[in-house]
Amino acid sequence: MRISTNQIYDSALLGMGRNQSQLVKLQSQLSSGRRMMTPADDPIASARALDVTQAKEVTAQFARNQGNAGDRLALVDSQLSSLTDLLQSVRTRVIQAGNTVLSNSDREAIAAELDVRLEDMLALANSRNAEGDYLFSGYQGATAPFARNAASSAVSYFGDDGERLLQVTSSQQMATNVAGSDLFMNIREGNGTFVTAAGGSGVGQNQGQGAIDAGSVLDQQKWHSAVNGFPWQGASNVGLQIEFSSPGGVSSYQLFDVSTPPPPAAAWPPTPVSAVLPYIAGQAIPLSTTVPVTDFGVQVVINGAPVAGDTFTIKPSVNKSAFQTMDELINLLRSPLGAGAAATDYSGKLAGHLSNLDQVLANISRVQTTVGGKLQSLDSLTSNAVALDLQYQKTLSDLQDLDYAQAITDFTRVQVGLEAAQKSFVTATGLSLFSLL
Amino acid sequence: MGTGILSTGVSGLQAAQLGLQTVGHNIANVNTTGFARQRTVQASNSALVSGAGYLGQGTHVATIERLYSGFLTDQVNRSQSSSSGLDSYYAQISQIDDLLADPSAGLSPALQDFFASIQDLSANPSQLSSRQGMISSAQALGARYQVLGDQLAQMYEGINAEVTATVRGINSYATQIGMLNEQIVVAQGATSQPANDLMDTRDKLVAELNKLVKTRTTTNSDGSYNVSIGSGQQLVVGSQLMALTTIPSSADPSRLVVGLTTGGSVIELPESLLGGGSLGGLLQFRSESLDRASNELGRNAASLALTFNAQSALGQDLLGQSLLSSSPTSFAPALFSISSPAVIANTRNPSGSPTVTAAFVDPPPFNGNYYTDLTSSDYRLSADATGVTLTRLSDNKAWFGAGLGAGQGIDAVNVLLASDPQGFTLAASSLPLVAGASYLIEPTRAVARNISVNPAVAADPRLITAAGPVRTSVGTANTGAAAISAGNVGPGYAAVSTLPITMDYVAGVGGGLRNFPVPSQVSVDGVVSIIAASTDVVAFTSGASITVGSVGSTPPSGFNFTITGLPNNGDTFLISPNAGATADGRNALALAKLQTQGTMSGAASSYQQAYAQLVSETGSKTREIQVTGDAQRTLLQQATASRDSLSAVNLDEEAANLIRYQQAYQASAKSLQIGASLFETILALGA
Repeated sequence: MRISTNQIYDSALLGMGRNQSQLVKLQSQLSSGRRMMTPADDPIASARALDVTQAKEVTAQFARNQGNAGDRLALVDSQLSSLTDLLQSVRTRVIQAGNTVLSNSDREAIAAELDVRLEDMLALANSRNAEGDYLFSGYQGATAPFARNAASSAVSYFGDDGERLLQVTSSQQMATNVAGSDLFMNIREGNGTFVTAAGGSGVGQNQGQGAIDAGSVLDQQKWHSAVNGFPWQGASNVGLQIEFSSPGGVSSYQLFDVSTPPPPAAAWPPTPVSAVLPYIAGQAIPLSTTVPVTDFGVQVVINGAPVAGDTFTIKPSVNKSAFQTMDELINLLRSPLGAGAAATDYSGKLAGHLSNLDQVLANISRVQTTVGGKLQSLDSLTSNAVALDLQYQKTLSDLQDLDYAQAITDFTRVQVGLEAAQKSFVTATGLSLFSLL
Repeated sequence: MGTGILSTGVSGLQAAQLGLQTVGHNIANVNTTGFARQRTVQASNSALVSGAGYLGQGTHVATIERLYSGFLTDQVNRSQSSSSGLDSYYAQISQIDDLLADPSAGLSPALQDFFASIQDLSANPSQLSSRQGMISSAQALGARYQVLGDQLAQMYEGINAEVTATVRGINSYATQIGMLNEQIVVAQGATSQPANDLMDTRDKLVAELNKLVKTRTTTNSDGSYNVSIGSGQQLVVGSQLMALTTIPSSADPSRLVVGLTTGGSVIELPESLLGGGSLGGLLQFRSESLDRASNELGRNAASLALTFNAQSALGQDLLGQSLLSSSPTSFAPALFSISSPAVIANTRNPSGSPTVTAAFVDPPPFNGNYYTDLTSSDYRLSADATGVTLTRLSDNKAWFGAGLGAGQGIDAVNVLLASDPQGFTLAASSLPLVAGASYLIEPTRAVARNISVNPAVAADPRLITAAGPVRTSVGTANTGAAAISAGNVGPGYAAVSTLPITMDYVAGVGGGLRNFPVPSQVSVDGVVSIIAASTDVVAFTSGASITVGSVGSTPPSGFNFTITGLPNNGDTFLISPNAGATADGRNALALAKLQTQGTMSGAASSYQQAYAQLVSETGSKTREIQVTGDAQRTLLQQATASRDSLSAVNLDEEAANLIRYQQAYQASAKSLQIGASLFETILALGA
């Protein structure tokens, strides 16, 4: 083929230009460490790199949220520990106060100490976090959750049940607070299902030495359907009463329905719902009625010697706040104590309060277990997040990063090619017939 | 006899001299672009009859020809126009390619920062600093959309300017070709010899013209060229020029298109006719890649704003305001403001045509979160005598509404769009539409440039709706063990009822929950009951999803909650306004979740995925153009090499020719000398 002079120059220049542009590209890859300089270099990998970067950033954000949640829960946890210590000391004092040998002034001293403890508990319940939000007020971070109600002087809750949630993984939100209602207010009295008490008060109080325990639940399902299915005579004050009598000198008891219509209608007298049964001290009394036949699935034990006319009530538990329990305890300790039946009544009431106090402690321990469980799960989430982050990092590196060994080899190869093109260009263009003329 | 030798020698001298001059001309033009080497074509003079036979009478130069092939030149021109087209396409698209995926200037980092700031807000909703942080990153995100959108818009401006300059260039070359046609016809008519250098110049101009636009050239019998573009539209006929011009497109006056002037009127040339050359490359880039990138970016911005605003409206701000607040209220449901879909009326619409507008459809809820159905296509609405047709330009899918008046045509199209959503609805300023009118709808083209943060929220970060508007609780006197979930709200919740709602539980056969608002509809796991009286009881299922909403809301929407566990007779459950909820970040969490959820393309992809798809598409297209461009350049080189192999000058060859003609000259001179000496010999005999 005939070659023109300019073709010799053009093709040599083209070859050198191609080598040079490859060199420049390799050089910029080597200096940046990136395989792709623009998406056009590898469109699929570029798009994936964007997606993986977002996934990595989101994981990092979740890890930050996990740290955040951990800090908050740790603060709650330390407050709960203080609360447990405080209530344990209250419990010790209450057990001490159960000793009927104590004089009224001894009990007054204990009451004074419990007063201080109550104030401590109120202060703990109104504590704030570093940002100035109240810890136990639910959504209402700026509202002091607990204060004495002006009208009744009882401690009321002004917060709500709100959970302050943080997104800790893509699918999981974690509450980083404990609502004050859950911790202090919604505590079931008695044994958590029902509450027992000696009937009457003042002159009508029990005259015998009988003492009722907190009772036990044999079948929660039966209790639930009995309470909801029993044809109570009224909707208010739903409950059963055990009334003692001694027909023929035999100590006996009978179950009564004590529910009444809602106020202001006058209360109805109790209606008998079971046969009269003989009483044996210390033997379990199952709550089952004959009119109509209903098994409540629970039993109570009465010890000692009740006399005819003594009553004991069993009612479904309602909520009693930790503060109310403390208030009632202090009031009980402050009321002067007589002897005989009054002492039995005092012991019975104190035992009731103690079981309420135990419910408070059990509730705090339940909450603390939940918090501890969350802290533990955060630990494992964080180690997951770290592993995931490494995985994303590796994927990103595979997608974006340069294979240096390959790039340097290529660089050397292109360099040799360019040098060869330059040398051959000089030689080829030096060959001219004119130089020989 | 002696004179015969002399005249023959002189003819040889003259031919050699012409040969040397032609070689010199070739050497002088070795670097002239478009020059085709020339050579003398020598022929022997006609012989004289003598007794000895025919006696040669020397030589003459018949013509000076150029070594030229029309076929090879055409091949170069065709390759050249494809190559220039791809080069100009590449120059444009590589700008978008660089722009979109830049690790610091692309959209992705701003998007991630924005959502990280919402996560921070959900952790600290009461802190003004975290609220301000979210506003700042929202503004940064808005600015990033604007910058990207502005740069794409500037590319439209740039293309308009470049099209104008290119058309001017085409006209200039066409004018010169016309003038050369005239000169060549005159020159060749006078001598009947080819006007080699004029033809070279004209071929060079045709080659330059093909860099700008693909043309076809035919040669007339008088040697002039006819140049046509597209499917045969004449640009140059002999010395006549039909000038091209740029005019605003009748469909979208902001785009300049190419028009052809014939007989005093201008006709719009369809872009499909203008393939090849840098003009073709520019136009193809604009309609194929730039429109798509602008629409896609706008779709991303519009979807972000629409879905974000929809979720934002379901929240409550730090001042306790929500949709439940009675006026006057400074509640700000939207965080972002965007422009409406653009509708451009054709400039040639019949007079009396009404103005057509389009509006974005509020995003439908999807599992409690939001998505849009917007596409990245443009649409055309055209009316004829039978009715109105909406056409999606990306795939020519059409929706037809018969008739032009109210309740027909455009309204019928809206009805079709309700079941086959495209993310917008249409409206006309008056009806009926006029037959023959057409409108171009660009739903998302300009949105990225026009997204901004609601100034009311920017000025007061407390207006960010981080909290949920309601909270739930169980009655304090409940004896059962049932718990109620935190509860959330759906669209239309504010119209259901005033709060609080206090439901209570009735035990026994036929029991359940009652005391719902009247009237309302209660949906339990999707089974709807209508509440006509407060004593109406809805059967209770522990753990079922309960939605209390306005009658007829489909899908059921309103207050949503779950009650788990066993309630006792008379237990109550409350939904109340979320007053004072400064530490509640539930709506912020819902906003943050939008990042990873299917918020676009009918819930199929997230913002990030849709953007990554744009990056990948642009990258693929850039790569395709790059690879095709490289291949086309190789073809061009081969075609050029073939032509140069025939036409271009080789200096070694010319050096050899110099020696050849020099020796021929010397030899002819020698024959003259011998002829002269023969003559001298005769004269000496007489002396």
